[in-house]
Parts: sequence; structure tokens; C-alpha cells
Amino acid sequence: MNEAIRLKSVCKTFGTTKAVTDLDLTIPRGALYGFIGPNGAGKTTTIRMIMSILFPDTGDLSVLGQKSALDAKNRIGYLPEERGVYRKMRVGPFLTFMARLKGVPESEIPGRIKRGLERVGLADAERKRCEDLSKGTQQKVQFIATIIHHPDLLILDEPFSGLDPVSSRSLREMVLEEHARGATILFSTHVMPHAEELCDHVVMINKGKKVLDDPVADIQRRYDPRVIEFDPLDPQADLSTLRSIPEVEDIVRTDHGCKVVLHEGTSAPSVIPRLAIAVPPARIEIARPTLEEVFVKLVAA
Amino acid sequence: MKKILLVAAREFVATVSTKAFIIGLLIMPVMIGVSILIFPRLLNPRNFKAQGEVAIIDPSGRAIGDIRTAFSPERVTERREAQVRQVLNQAPPEVKQLATSQASPQMAAAMASATASSDLRLIERPPTADVQKEKSWLLEPTEVRRLALVVVHDNAVRSEDGKTYGSYDTYVPSNIDDRAMNEIQAAMQEALVNARTRESGLDRAKIESIVRVERGKSITVTKDSERSTIRGINGILPIFFVILMFMGVMTGGQSLLTSTVEEKSSRVMEVLLSALSPMELLAGKIIGQFGVSMIVLGLYIGIGLALLLSFALFGLINPWLVPYLGIFFVLSYLTYGSLMVSVGAVVNDMREAQSLMMPLMLVLTFPFWVWFPMSQNPNSAFSTIMSFIPPINSFAMLIRLTSTSPPPWWQVWASIGVGLFGVVAALWFASKIFKIGLLMYGKPPNFATLVRWARQA
Repeated sequence: MNEAIRLKSVCKTFGTTKAVTDLDLTIPRGALYGFIGPNGAGKTTTIRMIMSILFPDTGDLSVLGQKSALDAKNRIGYLPEERGVYRKMRVGPFLTFMARLKGVPESEIPGRIKRGLERVGLADAERKRCEDLSKGTQQKVQFIATIIHHPDLLILDEPFSGLDPVSSRSLREMVLEEHARGATILFSTHVMPHAEELCDHVVMINKGKKVLDDPVADIQRRYDPRVIEFDPLDPQADLSTLRSIPEVEDIVRTDHGCKVVLHEGTSAPSVIPRLAIAVPPARIEIARPTLEEVFVKLVAA
Repeated sequence: MKKILLVAAREFVATVSTKAFIIGLLIMPVMIGVSILIFPRLLNPRNFKAQGEVAIIDPSGRAIGDIRTAFSPERVTERREAQVRQVLNQAPPEVKQLATSQASPQMAAAMASATASSDLRLIERPPTADVQKEKSWLLEPTEVRRLALVVVHDNAVRSEDGKTYGSYDTYVPSNIDDRAMNEIQAAMQEALVNARTRESGLDRAKIESIVRVERGKSITVTKDSERSTIRGINGILPIFFVILMFMGVMTGGQSLLTSTVEEKSSRVMEVLLSALSPMELLAGKIIGQFGVSMIVLGLYIGIGLALLLSFALFGLINPWLVPYLGIFFVLSYLTYGSLMVSVGAVVNDMREAQSLMMPLMLVLTFPFWVWFPMSQNPNSAFSTIMSFIPPINSFAMLIRLTSTSPPPWWQVWASIGVGLFGVVAALWFASKIFKIGLLMYGKPPNFATLVRWARQA
């Protein structure tokens, strides 16, 4: 069994609203998957079904080889979108409580808490009340609680929301460390650069339906805009000569040069030498589609 | 099971380690102590000092001498002391001993305040005074309060037919204190009886000694021992047990409600649900707060038993009542606690919880409305029916068990059976609502929606 998560034809309806429709999803062990989609697309509902907090109306689901996440909860780390801490509890007892719930051996708990807090720069926070911490610091504590039992599967729902850039980077590093340790990671976000930066595979859903499920590189290839960014060496050069190349469909002027739009099916690298011969370039670069562009394109469609 | 106990332990520690809980726990014994030591002195009717003027018109002039004597401060004091002695005679021997002991300055002060003398000034009006004119005297604004105008009937002392006597009329301003009225009536009663006996040539002291029958000694006989009968305790025992159980249920139930609302509002709920199932969370919370309730109940029962032991009154309570209190408390706590935790699960804050709690609180306080008729008629049709309607049945059966006519044993156990059914139904309802409500935010559902959820889940 090499799948960490497998969903087959999963549907979930709330009243008359179809939150998730006929969703198939397979996440292999050790993968780092991004789960993207606009607000209200069904990401959180899907994650809650994976976590057995909600149950699908129809369809099959397995998590770490179990029919229900309830049977594998001690091997799963889950950072929900709606997350919080016991405000009146101190950080140490809160993490201890979470570690015990996750079945961490009693003798290992103090060490894991100490190392976790040191890792996020909160070595002196153990005796502080949670309510005395800033929101960002509370999120760091929540993340430690999520990974304190060294889970095999880490599910993070909008983990970067509300974090400042420094905290966001720190959390990104910790996610990658967990991945390097061998954990399978699924995280949802609607901030595309985060997904692009972290994931090797992206699943996108819109209105409860899966619209994309591919490696990031494949997506970029498939949604290649067939555009080459071209800045001439001589700013006064006549760029219209580029139109004489048969593969070029259009030339769009920019501040420093132009964007060369190619005909469909054209391989951009094969055109570059001829462009360089036609007009000596200062910069020539194949434009890659961002996930954001793909996201907007798919959602708009 | 381990996770349930972890949640229970956290709930218990989080609740009992708060200042609010500790203060709340201690405030009741303090309030009881205060009410025992201070309130009787503040509210004692005999502590009242009647002050003011009383005008007397005695057309026959036969009673005025006795009226003067009866209104003298010495006689007022003597009458009050006699009243206090009468009350003490009905008290348990230990209390009587404590009250009469010189070693208790507080009790001496209480006795002194209980017999505070009055300051009633008698204004004698001419026998021919016009009553209508004298009435206006009552309403004249003066510094000294005018309490009453008393007009003695012509035949109040000497009977015209040798059988029936007249009495007296009292005219008072609108704001007269009842206790002052009682003082005046007691003095007039004494004065007229004295005047009549003298007029008839009788010896009042002798008549009184003939008609007075001292209350005889009453002994309560049990299998193991005998003790002086203490009256009144059987009347207050049912409400005492109802209050005890109510406090236990409310402490645990209220904590369940607030902790669930807090977990929801602080968004820690879903974090917990990543580690355990809703049912484990529900069970842990109910068990944890049960421990909190047991602390409250244990403390108050302990204080009660310690007081009974210190006054050698332990035999007043049937020891079997304590385990029955335990059984009915568990049934009641589980029923109300389940319903309260489900309310906590569906609301976003305590303000929203109030409206859903209203019907629950009405049911929970219902025993306070009916305890008296039920304890007076513990085997009436109403009492019997109440004993089989959960969740009221636990309170109803406890009232009946602590009454003077306990119900048949089969009814007690049938009521426990019905209570168990109520517990199962409440837990079932709570489990459905809890599971759905936990992650619901926004507008709280109404009662009909809750029922629909329970049926759908």
C-alpha cells in the first residue's frame, strides 16, 4: 500500500449545497501535495472528510491504509483552518496535553516540546499562557502540536494564513523538514506562490469538483503560454522582423522589448536561436505559467 | 479510553484550578455561616423595637389601670422573654444548651437583641373623648410617631349577660408596622384578661396554672437508640436535598456549557478533533465535570454531616438517603449535563446560549416550585406522576424519599429505571447534536433544527 490518501468518487452535500462532487484523489506516501482552489471550493470539507471529522455521503476513502482516519489518528498531524489553543493554558501543559492525546511516550514529551519550541524561537515560552502570545506565535505553537508525534501524514489547512513573511518562511522550512523526514504532506492554500514554491504536485478543485491533478512541472508544461520574453540588445531595433519567423503568431510590445507569442504546438526552445539571429537579444527567456495564471484560467473557465 | 480520561483530567484540572471555582465553592459555606450568625439577628421579629405613641380611650375606665401596666417597658420585656423561652423549649437539647450557655457571647448577644425592649408611650384620652376627632390625631405630623388609637368597648371588662365580653377597636395610620401592631395587641390582650379576672373576683395566676399544659417530652425511638424529637427537620429535609442536588448538577452542567463554548469560540475544537473522536471528547468532558460536581457535592455533604455530628444530631438523617442521593445525582447530572453540553456545542458564545438554556433552566428549577406540595403529600397522584417523568423524576423521588411518608421501594427502583432511560435518551440526543454542532459557526439553530439534526445524524 503506497498510498497515504485515497478518495474514490467521494460526494458531500450540505442541505442543497454540493460541497464536494465525485472527487477522486490519490496521494502517494512521501509526496508533498498542494490542495488549491478558491474560497468555498470544498478544500476544507474534503480535508475534514479525510480526517473523519465529516463523513462522505457516498464514495470510498482510505487514509494510511485505514478505512477511517479515526483508526490512524496518532499517525496523522492536522492543522485545521479553524485553529486555536486553550487560552488559559500555559504553552507547556497545552503541548503536553496534545502530545499525550497523540500517544507520544511520556518520557519523550518534555524533550520534544523543548526542541520544538527552540526550533521556532520560542524557547522561553513554555511557561507563558497561550492568551499572552501573539496570533503568529500561537500558530507556531499549534504547528508544534501538529508535528509533536512525528506523524506519517501531515495535513495543513491554510497553514500560512495570518502569518508575517518571516514566520511564513520559518513555517515553510519546517514543512520541508517534515517532508525530508519522510512525512506525506497535503496542504491547502489559495495563495498560489506558496503551492508553487513548496509542492511537487498540485490538486485543484473548484465548486467541489477536481479540475486539476498533476505535477507542478507538468502543469507548467501543459499550460505553457507559448510566450518568449524578448528584450533586444539595441533598444531601437526593428522588432517587426521577428514576425517573419513562421512559428511566430504575434508580437506584443513591452517597456523594454516584446513578448513573442508562438503558434500552438510550437516548441519554444527550437525558435529561440532563430529569434536571436533575427534581432540580437539582451535577454531572451521562455515565459513559464504561474499557478496563479492556471488557477485564474481554470476558475474563469 | 485513555484519550477520554486525558480529556476528563484536563477538564477537571482546568475547572477546579480557577479562582472563580474556588471562590464559588467557598462562598456557599460562607453564606450559610453568615445566614446562621447574622441574618437571624437582622430579621428576628423579636429584635424589633416598637417606638411611638398609643392613644387609649376607655369609656368605662375599668381597664385603664391594667392597660398602663401591660404597656410598661418591664412587661413588654417579660412577654418577649417568655416568647424566646417558648421557642428554645422546642429546640434540640444541644442547641438549647448552646443558647443558654454563658460561654457563647454571640448567643448571649442574640438573646439580648431578641428581647430588646420597646418604647411605647401611652396617651390616655378622656373617657368621653370624641373618636372621630381623635382619629385626626393619628394623622397630625409630629416628631414622635403615632402608632394607634385604641378604643376599648364598654363591655370589654364587665359582661352584660355574664357570658360575652366586648373587645377593643384599633385605628392606625396607613404605614403601621405589623410588629408594632402585634406588640399593641399583646399588651391589650394581657390588660383585658387581667381586668376581667379581677372584675370577676378570680385569681388569674391560679386560672393560668390550671389551663396551662406544658408541652410534654417527646422521644424519637429508633432501633439503636432514643433521642429527643426534633420538630421541623422533616419539613426542611426535602428542600435541603433538592438544593444539594441542584447545586451539584448546576456546577457540572454550567462548567460543561462554558468549557464547550470556550473550546468552540477559541477554535481549539477542530484541533482536538484531529486527535480524538467527538464521542471521546463528549465522554471525557462529561466525566471530567462529573468529578467537579462530586467535589462540590462531597464538600457540602461533608459540611452537613460534620454539623450534624457536632450537634449529636446524626441520627436525624436516614443513612440510606446518602446513596440514593448519589444515584439520583448521577442520573440527573448525566441527563442535564448531556443537554447542556449539546447547547454549548451549537452556539458561538454564552449570550447565544442563554436563549437555548431557558427551557432547560425552567425544567431544572421546576422541583423548587413543587417541593412543598410534594413533600406534604409525597404519595399523591401528582407526586407519583412526577417521579416517572425524566428529568424531573430524580428530584421528585428524592423529595418523596426524604419526606415523612417515603414511597414504596418498587416505585423508587422503577423511577431509577425511568431515569436511566432518560440518561440514555439525553446522551443519544447530545451525541448527535454535539457531533454536528461542534464545527457549525454562524447563526445558532433553534430547537426545531436541533431535533432535525438529532433525527438526521
